[in-house]
Amino acid sequence: MNSILWDDHGHKPNGNGKSNGNTSLIELRRVGKTYQTSAGRFDALKGVSLEIKQGEFVSIIGKSGSGKTTLINLITGIDDPTEGEIFIGDTPVHKLNEGQMAAWRGLNIGIVFQFFQLLPTLTVLENVMLPMGLCNLYTRAGRYERARHLLELVDLAEQADKLPNKLSGGQQQRAAIARALANDPPIIATDEPTGNLDSRSAEAVMKLFEDLVAQGKTILMVTHDGDLAKRAKRTIALADGVIVN
Amino acid sequence: MALHTRWSKIFKDMWSYRSRSLLVIFSIAIGVAAVGMINNAGRIIQRDLYGTFTAGNPAVLEIYVSPFQKDLAKAVQGMREIESAQARRVESASVLGRKDHWEDVGLNVLPDFNAVHVNQYNLQNGVSVPGTREILLERQSADKLGLAVGDEVTIEMADERRYTLTVAGIVHDVYVMPFALLGEATGYISMDTLEWLGEAPYFNRLDIVVTGNKFDKDHVLTVGNLARDRVIEPSGYKVFRIGIPGIGSDPGEHWAQSQIKGFLLILQIMGILAIFLSGGLVINTVSAILAQQIKQIGIMRSVGAVRHQISGMYLINVLVFSALGLLIAIPLGLLGSWGLVNFAANFLNFDVGQIDLSLKVLSLQLALGLLMPVGVVLIPVFAGTRISVYNAIYQNGLGGEKEGGWIEELLSKFRNLSPPVMLSLRNTFRKKARLAFTIVTLTLAGAMFIAVFSTRASLTKQINDIGRYIAYDAALSIPGGANKRTVEREALRIPGVSLAEGWANAVAVIERVDGSQSAEVDLVGLPGDTATIDPLLLDGTWLIAGQPQQVVVNDDLLDEEADIRVGSEIVLKVGESKRTYQVVGVLSKHLSGPRIYMDYNAFGKLTGRQNQVDVVRVLANPGSTSSSAQQELIAQQLEERFQNAKLSTSAASTRHAFFEKFTDVFDIILIVLLIMAVVLAIVGGLGLTGTMGMNVFERTREIGVLRAVGASNLAVRSVVVVEGVVVALISWALGAFLSGPSGRALAGAVINAVLKADLSYKYSVSGLFIWLGIVVLIGVLSSLVPAQNAARLRVREVLDYE
Amino acid sequence: MIYRELQRNVWGGVSILFKVVNNFEVEENQETKYTDSRAPRKGQSHSQGDGHLIELRDLVKVYKTPAGDFPALNGINLKVGRGEFLAVLGKSGAGKSTLINMITCIDSPTSGEVIVNGAAVHKLNEDQKARWRGENLGVVFQFFQLLPSLNLIENVTIPMDFRNTYPLGERKERALHLLEQVGIAEHAYKTPAKISGGQQQRVAIARALANDPPLVVADEPTGNLDSRTAGEIFDLFSALVDQGTTVLVVSHDKEVANRATRMVEITDGEIKTH
Repeated sequence: MNSILWDDHGHKPNGNGKSNGNTSLIELRRVGKTYQTSAGRFDALKGVSLEIKQGEFVSIIGKSGSGKTTLINLITGIDDPTEGEIFIGDTPVHKLNEGQMAAWRGLNIGIVFQFFQLLPTLTVLENVMLPMGLCNLYTRAGRYERARHLLELVDLAEQADKLPNKLSGGQQQRAAIARALANDPPIIATDEPTGNLDSRSAEAVMKLFEDLVAQGKTILMVTHDGDLAKRAKRTIALADGVIVN
Repeated sequence: MALHTRWSKIFKDMWSYRSRSLLVIFSIAIGVAAVGMINNAGRIIQRDLYGTFTAGNPAVLEIYVSPFQKDLAKAVQGMREIESAQARRVESASVLGRKDHWEDVGLNVLPDFNAVHVNQYNLQNGVSVPGTREILLERQSADKLGLAVGDEVTIEMADERRYTLTVAGIVHDVYVMPFALLGEATGYISMDTLEWLGEAPYFNRLDIVVTGNKFDKDHVLTVGNLARDRVIEPSGYKVFRIGIPGIGSDPGEHWAQSQIKGFLLILQIMGILAIFLSGGLVINTVSAILAQQIKQIGIMRSVGAVRHQISGMYLINVLVFSALGLLIAIPLGLLGSWGLVNFAANFLNFDVGQIDLSLKVLSLQLALGLLMPVGVVLIPVFAGTRISVYNAIYQNGLGGEKEGGWIEELLSKFRNLSPPVMLSLRNTFRKKARLAFTIVTLTLAGAMFIAVFSTRASLTKQINDIGRYIAYDAALSIPGGANKRTVEREALRIPGVSLAEGWANAVAVIERVDGSQSAEVDLVGLPGDTATIDPLLLDGTWLIAGQPQQVVVNDDLLDEEADIRVGSEIVLKVGESKRTYQVVGVLSKHLSGPRIYMDYNAFGKLTGRQNQVDVVRVLANPGSTSSSAQQELIAQQLEERFQNAKLSTSAASTRHAFFEKFTDVFDIILIVLLIMAVVLAIVGGLGLTGTMGMNVFERTREIGVLRAVGASNLAVRSVVVVEGVVVALISWALGAFLSGPSGRALAGAVINAVLKADLSYKYSVSGLFIWLGIVVLIGVLSSLVPAQNAARLRVREVLDYE
Repeated sequence: MIYRELQRNVWGGVSILFKVVNNFEVEENQETKYTDSRAPRKGQSHSQGDGHLIELRDLVKVYKTPAGDFPALNGINLKVGRGEFLAVLGKSGAGKSTLINMITCIDSPTSGEVIVNGAAVHKLNEDQKARWRGENLGVVFQFFQLLPSLNLIENVTIPMDFRNTYPLGERKERALHLLEQVGIAEHAYKTPAKISGGQQQRVAIARALANDPPLVVADEPTGNLDSRTAGEIFDLFSALVDQGTTVLVVSHDKEVANRATRMVEITDGEIKTH
């Protein structure tokens, strides 16, 4: 299962071959997160243990303040746990520092944000090429080809040379998904990806996610929308920092 | 006392962003302080230097006359056109200073030390009337020589005999050039003492104050000619020179007045530049505050604030910055003017009175300090408070960008750059107004920096050009003249000397077509095949041997006699002798004043001084000058030999010494200018730091996204640093463009101020590339701290706040 | 055009400066007048004819996006009576935020009319809107939107400051009183960053009440709070309604349904009637 992750040198020992789906790709062991606020301690997560296998489409649901965003931030290494361990493959994510984490994440996790977060000065194509450049993957020509290919995949080939502000919200989110796929990461993490989209665009985005799962990607999706959550194969419900299902 | 909440918001915001507030306050303070310093210093120098100068009844005219007695002064003073005339003897000698080092000293003898009525000096210490075997010393000379009242001082006269005098008093004389500048001490002795020193008792100069307009050069010179024609020459004396005291000064002005004016003007320009740069920094910072507070502006509007209340808040904020800036600027400007005035006082030897602040300077500072910042931020404040509540509060995700302009259009053509570099490049042009101000600041600093280097190069070129006229190893003047063949033979006996030329000098006037006469012009007779001059011809040709009717003039003469050009015929008059010549060439200026060169034989015919020469110029190797040590050796031998031969007791000069003297003076000026350029560069760097800081601050979220898609610390830093360097390079290119004219202007102003001569301009290419190195360094250094801050940002902090 | 705006701005700055310099006496006089007229005004508004505080007529809002026109509101008609606690429900993108932005006149309609407290607010210009908003309604945002550099009292005082309501000397007292009312008086001198999200939202509510408006509008006021805190915030709104204030809350949280006296659901820019 280790084989689907990029190693430190940008090599993926076993191409994109599927590994056996029985061992877990993501493992959380008694993970807790406490925020120290001026108003006192706030336990966002309380001893959460969790395993996610490769190729799963997992939705994480819960009300505001239930800890769902904290959970995904810990898995993507955007935030550090107060206690517990997080392994992705063999990598102890909780032990990496910010710089190491950024490089590791760039290779192994594609993030799709609620508000798209495309860089406004770069064209759509350049936005997709950016992660490859930053992680030094592929050749220069290869990056261009790959970005074109990914944009075709999300049906944005015609918009490739436009700046993001020329695109509708749905198109921007699809571009963001193409960017998340740039380095061919095994994991896609997303927080309310359709929160800012009309229902038709939201549907297109969900369809993309389902296609990706079919290709063997592992997807984690945070949402408060029960209808969306039902489209995932597995749902993890959080309430007040603990898993409730 | 209850305070309006919005005012407390202003103060709390200022406090929350202390470093930014300080940046604005200092920006205002620096510019305003600079203007205050320069204007106040100018005013105090005017008051103290010119005040002292005018108070001592300055001579407006100096007439050098053959040896005379003091009755002549009385006769001259008797003229209706003359208010006072005072006889003076000026004699050169050497004085033993500190560490057994001999210095030149000018000995002044006045007819009556109890009644000095022209160029009055002030007693500082001791007595004001020197007795026999006593000397008064000018205070700066005494200081530099390490002598005080009561000390004994050794004087060596031209005949090498030494005498010991006692220092009887220290005086302050603003009419002589100070030791620091001239390298010559000034002393005052009685006629008795002069006789005891082995000199004949006579006077050789008249210091004159005219009646009527003392400041009118033509009037003053006319009076001088009148005195010569009506009194001096009829009394049987010969006039050598009629001139106005100072270095090309106008009559009635302190000898350094135009130089001081020129220098203050240069500083004034730099002060205005500093104000401009301050304004740029203020605009940038206030724009950044507005950008940062967009959401807060939206909230305030949503709770009922109308637009003028919000713009009022930010304008008041700027006024508070201004007031605090002034609080620093006014004392700082005063301190600066104190420093500048004292520097000048030391250098120019005058007393500084009270260092105060005039109402005029204060008002100027107040007006600049209050109006400039508020004025420059009106547009950003107006634009920034215009935003609607909807846009202010509901801006989610990465901000929308405006339509791309031609720059974006151009940048989108680069497709081969990697996206991180592309990102830096595009980011550079996002905040165009801010970029413009940053670039303007750095560009001005760069243009100034290169201009200082060009000034240096121009000064060097100027000196080298002048040096072409003294292409000898050593020269010696022969007062009274001597036979040409004797002089040349004597000089050629010095081992190593292979060429010796005797030159003759005289004073001539040009008789114009209408019969009027020009002012006196130096006339130089030189060998037709001269090898000790390498003239820089502006027009025409150099003298051709065997063409006795030809003359070559210099550009200074053309300034005074506008009708003369190559091919003109001019009538020269020396005494009663008068001949016509043809001008065949025009030479560059070389600090000589108007001058005419002609063949030695023709010179003899015109002046009636056949076979007489006044100067000998020698060269060891024709075609090239020798090393400085060799020149010194030759000079020494020249002095020795001519003294032994009873031909001359003068000191020989070398070409090398001439260069050395000028380089020293120029270096001081260049250092002051360079310091100014460095200050501008620092201000430019600060501006860039501020800009990069604001850019990083505004793009916090984008940097978080970069992090999220895999940017390492190095990648994040380089995105910021590359942007800083791009800005630096743009400013360099623009600065290079601007440095041509700015260098010409600065070099022209400096050379005019220092040499009173026109410019021979040279652009400094090395300055251009030194600045390239510096500006890139500034680009890197000023983006390092913002880059570090950017690298420290964590993704969660960036994305989590909404 | 720009010149005139500039002139007005400069004049604004100068007149403010002038006021500061001439101490606060002038303002206090004006305020006394204002306070005199306040009580009757409120009574008057209660006695107004149709009894509707808010009336929306054929309201349409179309956003121009690079991908084409996006109709956020499709002809909304709605009347809200005084003293109602109205909940506006709907999914993301349904148009409920747009609707509320029309009522607070933070955004202006493409066509249709918005009449609030007897004023046709869609006809006002930006400054008139700001004045009107400051005096007639309090807005509560999802992300609290307190001014970070001011302490809580100052955050509550600032609407009075901008609208010149209440004498200068009384404002602080009133702010403290409002903070007490939302149960947060002990933190009065802290800055917003020093208190929790729930506490910040209470301050935001106190700020919304500063000028004693007849209407309080809240957009997802509990969207960023945990469920217990959210409940407390809804309690506060209920208390306001009991005191006669009209409250309008936009939410996708069904919890609000239990508190409101009336609910409207918006789907694709239209009101779905229950």
